[in-house]
Amino acid sequence: MTRYAELAVTSNFTFLTGASHPEELMIRAAELGLEAIAITDRNSVAGVVRAFSALKELARMRAEAAAEQPEQAPEIRSQRVTDGASRQSRAPAPAPLAPLETPLPRLIPGARIVLRDSAVDWIALPTDLAAWARLTRLLTLGKRRAEKGQCHLDRRDLLDAAEGMMLIALPPDPLEGWTAAVLADLKQIRARFPATSFLGAAPRYDGRDEARLDRLAAVSQTTGLALVAAGDVLMHRAARRPLADVLTCLREHCTIDRIGRRRLPNGERRLKSGAEMARLFHRFPAALRRSVEIAERCAFRLDDLRYHYPDETRDGEPAQTRLDRLCREGLAWRYPAGASPHISDRVTKELRLIAEMGYAPYFLTVHDIVAAAREKGILAQGRGSAANSVVCYLLGITEVPPDSITLIFERFISKDRGEPPDIDVDFEHERREEVIQWIYERYGRHRAGLTGTVIHFRSRAAIREVGKVMGLSQDVIARLSGQIWGWSAAAPDDARIRDAGIDPADRRIRLAARLIAEIIGFPRHLSQHVGGFVITHGRLDELCPIENAAMEDRTVIEWDKDDIDALGLLKVDILALGMLTAIRKAFGLIADHRGRRYDLASVPAEDPAVYDMLCAADAVGVFQVESRAQLNFLPRMRPRQFYDLVCEVAIVRPGPIQGGMVHPFINRRRGLEPVEDLGPAMMEVLGRTYGVPLFQEQAMQIAVVAAGFTPAEADRLRRSLATFKRMGTIGGFRERFVSGMLSRGYGADFAERCFAQIEGFGSYGFPESHAASFARLVYISAWLKRHHQAIFTCALLNSQPMGFYAPAQLVRDARDRGVEVRPVCINRSDWDCTVEPRPDGALALRLGLRQIRSLREEDARWIVAARGNGYPDVESLWRRAGIRPDALERLAEGDAFAALGLGRRDALWAAKALRAPKPLPLFGAEGEGAREPETALPSMTLGQEVIEDYLSLRLSLRAHPMELLRPRLSETGLTDSLPNDRLPQATGRVVLTGLVITRQRPGTASGVIFLTLEDETGVANVVIWSRIYEAFRRAVIGGRLVRVTGRIERDGPVTHVIAETVEDLTPLLLTLGRPVLIAVNDGRADETRRPAGGSIRSPMHPREQAKAMFRSRDFH
Amino acid sequence: MLRRWPAEPGPFALIARAGNTDRLHCLNAPAEAAGLARGMAAADARALCPGLITRPAAPEAEARFLAMLARWATRWCPWVGLEAPDGIVLDLTGAAHLHGGEAATLDRLRASLARGGITARLGLAGSRGAAWALAHYGTGTDVADGPLAPLPVEALRIDPDTAAGLRRMGLETLGQLMAQPRAPLARRFGPALITRLDQATGDRGEQISPLAEPPHDAVRLTLPEPIGLTDDLRGLTARLLERLCARLAAREAGARSLRLTLRRVDQSDTEVELRLASPMVDPARILPLFDRGIDAVDSGFGIDQLRLQATLVEPMPPRQLTQRGAGQNRARSAALDDLVTRIGNRIGLENVQRLLPADSHIPERAFLRAPFAWSEPAGGWSAPRPRPLRLFPPEPIEAATREPGPHPPHRFRWRRMRLTTLRATGPERIAPEWWLDDPDWRRGLRDYWRIETREGRRLWLYFTPQDPGWFAQGEFA
Repeated sequence: MTRYAELAVTSNFTFLTGASHPEELMIRAAELGLEAIAITDRNSVAGVVRAFSALKELARMRAEAAAEQPEQAPEIRSQRVTDGASRQSRAPAPAPLAPLETPLPRLIPGARIVLRDSAVDWIALPTDLAAWARLTRLLTLGKRRAEKGQCHLDRRDLLDAAEGMMLIALPPDPLEGWTAAVLADLKQIRARFPATSFLGAAPRYDGRDEARLDRLAAVSQTTGLALVAAGDVLMHRAARRPLADVLTCLREHCTIDRIGRRRLPNGERRLKSGAEMARLFHRFPAALRRSVEIAERCAFRLDDLRYHYPDETRDGEPAQTRLDRLCREGLAWRYPAGASPHISDRVTKELRLIAEMGYAPYFLTVHDIVAAAREKGILAQGRGSAANSVVCYLLGITEVPPDSITLIFERFISKDRGEPPDIDVDFEHERREEVIQWIYERYGRHRAGLTGTVIHFRSRAAIREVGKVMGLSQDVIARLSGQIWGWSAAAPDDARIRDAGIDPADRRIRLAARLIAEIIGFPRHLSQHVGGFVITHGRLDELCPIENAAMEDRTVIEWDKDDIDALGLLKVDILALGMLTAIRKAFGLIADHRGRRYDLASVPAEDPAVYDMLCAADAVGVFQVESRAQLNFLPRMRPRQFYDLVCEVAIVRPGPIQGGMVHPFINRRRGLEPVEDLGPAMMEVLGRTYGVPLFQEQAMQIAVVAAGFTPAEADRLRRSLATFKRMGTIGGFRERFVSGMLSRGYGADFAERCFAQIEGFGSYGFPESHAASFARLVYISAWLKRHHQAIFTCALLNSQPMGFYAPAQLVRDARDRGVEVRPVCINRSDWDCTVEPRPDGALALRLGLRQIRSLREEDARWIVAARGNGYPDVESLWRRAGIRPDALERLAEGDAFAALGLGRRDALWAAKALRAPKPLPLFGAEGEGAREPETALPSMTLGQEVIEDYLSLRLSLRAHPMELLRPRLSETGLTDSLPNDRLPQATGRVVLTGLVITRQRPGTASGVIFLTLEDETGVANVVIWSRIYEAFRRAVIGGRLVRVTGRIERDGPVTHVIAETVEDLTPLLLTLGRPVLIAVNDGRADETRRPAGGSIRSPMHPREQAKAMFRSRDFH
Repeated sequence: MLRRWPAEPGPFALIARAGNTDRLHCLNAPAEAAGLARGMAAADARALCPGLITRPAAPEAEARFLAMLARWATRWCPWVGLEAPDGIVLDLTGAAHLHGGEAATLDRLRASLARGGITARLGLAGSRGAAWALAHYGTGTDVADGPLAPLPVEALRIDPDTAAGLRRMGLETLGQLMAQPRAPLARRFGPALITRLDQATGDRGEQISPLAEPPHDAVRLTLPEPIGLTDDLRGLTARLLERLCARLAAREAGARSLRLTLRRVDQSDTEVELRLASPMVDPARILPLFDRGIDAVDSGFGIDQLRLQATLVEPMPPRQLTQRGAGQNRARSAALDDLVTRIGNRIGLENVQRLLPADSHIPERAFLRAPFAWSEPAGGWSAPRPRPLRLFPPEPIEAATREPGPHPPHRFRWRRMRLTTLRATGPERIAPEWWLDDPDWRRGLRDYWRIETREGRRLWLYFTPQDPGWFAQGEFA
């Protein structure tokens, strides 16, 4: 076999150009028995780590196979291969791996440098670590110079940086005619790097290859650049040609029918074997040989990346010493009465391990970040596997007392896996940016960068974009993608296409469906990770290119989370959590009004009143447990202590639900079902969760205890589920796991169930420490709600948007708990909502100006600043606060002048009269202004006021719309419906009417939709099975006010209505403002009602108006 | 109020893009019954009514139709104007009695619109504003001068923001609005509102601008004595041409096709048609082109009336003449146009064609044929790869060897000729355009070779490796 190394490969990380994943290219290179493959994306190294991971995995699989069955060629064994890059299942690769005796191809990371001022592209392949550093610095230079996603490099930059790199020129086609500049560029590089520069020759298969190679050989003679064979590869197999053409269309914004000669004329830009290349280059064997020589000179491997974490030495104090000292101080602070021997043992053990692994600086970094945030008064709380430790508790990173949960030492840091510890820290969402900028400032932009995230094509985008390219009509595209709710990574299959009313046998549709399936999982562009920071001791830009993010003042590295894991880089996650903002604001209000200071640690623990409230499912606004599913779960779970909340948080998750763990857990907890005795070993692991594995750690421990895995293997199982699915190694684990459990005497059924749950954990699992950190916030927010309802609601309103409920529901909940809620008032309200003391000592909630739609914060600040003793009328506000007339109108619409005795319309009328942006000096009541004739405006009905309230404030303190509509329901001949508060007593078939406040379609519930209906008395939960949904689709998706007929179903204290019919009564909302009910629009008159000017944008259909007013929150 | 009915019954809507979203522009009755409405976002509409069929709206076509309707409406009264985008306005003053009074006019108008399949809403009032209000917000069947007071404020042709503002004040109907003092209203909503109010009540006049008459491109000549000689005919045609061309030139247009109608003394007509390869206004150039037609005229007992009409007129903006060499080019292209006109008038202008480049790697799709007279010459021919001068549909060739292989056969037969390969250059691999199902390309990708034969012919052969076979598709000069 001819030896050949492919040195010019464009993967799909050259966005919208390359048509194969780096993994696919790597595997194909192994199949073809290539000597080496270089992944060289356009001004980027984003794809090389993917290929590197694939190579490692290939090597591991081969080693395993060789160990098990030396005589048999290794094969991919799983039935279901999940492509890690594209996150979708596909048939196993048909071609077996190359036979064992051929070594796997080497991977050469590199980049294709595209210059602004030269027509020649250069493949740059670093030969050693120093050259790699120069390459990434070169790319960083170009990227920091340009805006996001671009890279501006010039010849000079390359000349300065290319020391130690192999440079292969890919000039434009010599047969198309070259300018003198091309030749000059080649000569310039050759003069600077005589020993490491080459001329790449890529055959095109267009009938002129012979002539082209001759011409290039001549150029090679004149310039002195030696000729080297290259494929200029775009795809791993010729079958990707259609996809490559589609990508071209996306890049060029055209349809496939207009692509013309921009398409690939043939599929020859694929990976080729040495033999094939030898045939093409039969007159230039040296060019082929040179490719191997170059590959051999590129000794750099990604494993060589020496990553140095910042040493965190402070004032000459080494990191470990400082950590020890901080822990000692922490012990004294956390345990004033002295720690138990168990805890101090554990600390010593942890510190020893940290010292052994050299992770002390990492813990110190997190500690410093948290301490800095605390200094600024920003609440922070850590979670993640390494946060599951006493050290973190002592350092103040977490607030969960280690004795309240079980800490598993193996999960803390594993020595075997050499995997970095993982700590995520949550910060207040409004102030996280301060923390991020602090980190940039502390370490510098050349040492700290946010992790990148690769944005992939998902179903919806894939259908839309490929559909457009394939020339499908907007209609067809909308119907295909309309079948998808929210997130999905599956291509439409035949059944779904047929569902959409489209013929799947149609050639175009078939092609489009195939291409959609292919393109899903392709990287689309690079974005920033939510908050993962990579910090280095040396220069980060010598490790990896850094580029500008779309957001101001953010810089991002090119690699994503998985890549960083694969290379063993440390990452600190700086995440944002809305609830922390709310809690901090609530603590502030308590300090102001009640004079007591709390922080996350000092909230009174284990308060029975708090648990009473949670048991009664009274948890609107409480962190995590406020969703419908959780609210249903609470009364069955009946939490009585902190650990119950930990379980609660962990159980209502996709993992346990998929594993079928929820019902056994509940039943055993309530004593309806005995706890199965699984033997002492298992009971030690599962005892505290009634024999049901809930947490990631437990699943890992089962693998160890029951299936005989070593801890390292168990962890590899977890990781292979999470990140290395692409190679199909799960099947092997399943066999091992199940047979291991069987041989230890467990039932096959139980073993299968355990494995199913571990599989579910792969993507969604909660480690216990995560759950505990969240449970802590659950408890604190519930405590705030129980003891300081007004303050709690106020803090939630000031932290919007967050959580599950809209302000209307939060306010309503507060009023139901007896809190007085006062309306927005021009003389009392601040921008934020506030609490006001009442004569009886309780606190009332005053809505803030922020509730008024489209009022600007700056205006509100001026209103407050110029208030003095209050504004007597609209005009004085205009004169004193200097706000623009349109803001006055917003205030009037929000009924903020009510306290002045001005109704909404009167205030609006007054505001409308003030049209100049600034008052003129001599006019007005005291000056030249004339008195206006009195105007008698029609007064507003209660219904109109409610509508206006909803329009401006999205809530109304006057009345619930249903209260006004209920008498109308019978007027219109509809049967009366049941008030929601009578639901618990009802039986059989009921009719409910209410505003839709939430709409949910959980991914785990196979097409079931949950609606929450609200009326003046309470809320009701409606379950809509997919069959009913199909029949009443319109009402279910579009309805704001719906009427549901259905059966009552009870499960313990929880009542649902299973819908049988759903009617959309939304137009009825519009009749609210009318004194008498007028005939419902027949549609015909509406059709012709068009305003002058003929804009078709403006007429609002009743339904649209209602939509704008009574918005629901929809979760997919 | 234009509606298109699709072939299929059921909900149907036209969609127009407004800003960033597609919105329903117009819809039929079943769609309205399904709860859809004009101005709704198309995505919402589809969610509500999955069976909705949509087509993009064509505003130009609607405008054309409206203009046609306006022209038709001149049968009711002479003064007809457009009320864009979807209405027409008629000034019936002094015309109503011709149709039996105002009410009867309205009834007859409605009946004849209905016969034409047009759903329309009508309003008739003493002022243009009031008529508009009645047509849009009245019952649609109101007879003359319906009451304005109960109509909504939107009926005033005010912008939606003003209307919404008025509604927020509780002023929902024209009656409520008219009861308000005018000065505060003007202060808050601007003088435009007051103007509209006055226009509706008729306190302020409003003009209707009628459509302009289309230009007339024909001239005629009546003779005191009949003539019969071809030369006389030619002379008179020249005079007509001069007048016609002067008229066309005045509005920067050129004739594309001309018709000369000759009336004989016995009242029978004969016609000479002339179609030109490009728009022309130069009588000196057009006249010779008439020669052949005039020669063929049978003048019978003599001709006493001539009419020359430009049946097809195209705009011909004046061009700058200063560029060097342009004059020469112009003269050459004018001569070419004349040649094509002459040939075209014999064999049909459509049959004179030119080749245009097309954007495809597929050889047989790399060019287009277009009628010469209706296409512009296009550049952009790029043939980076050698292509044969003559291209024909693929013809299988018989290779002397049994098994067709990927290398060109040494000896083969093509069109009953025995040929021997002297030199072969290639291959150029062209894969089919995968998104089209072209029967010619069912054999898969092709490897093209240039073959020079010992016999002297230079052929373009291809091999189809996916379904082995050799074919000839062209011949080099």
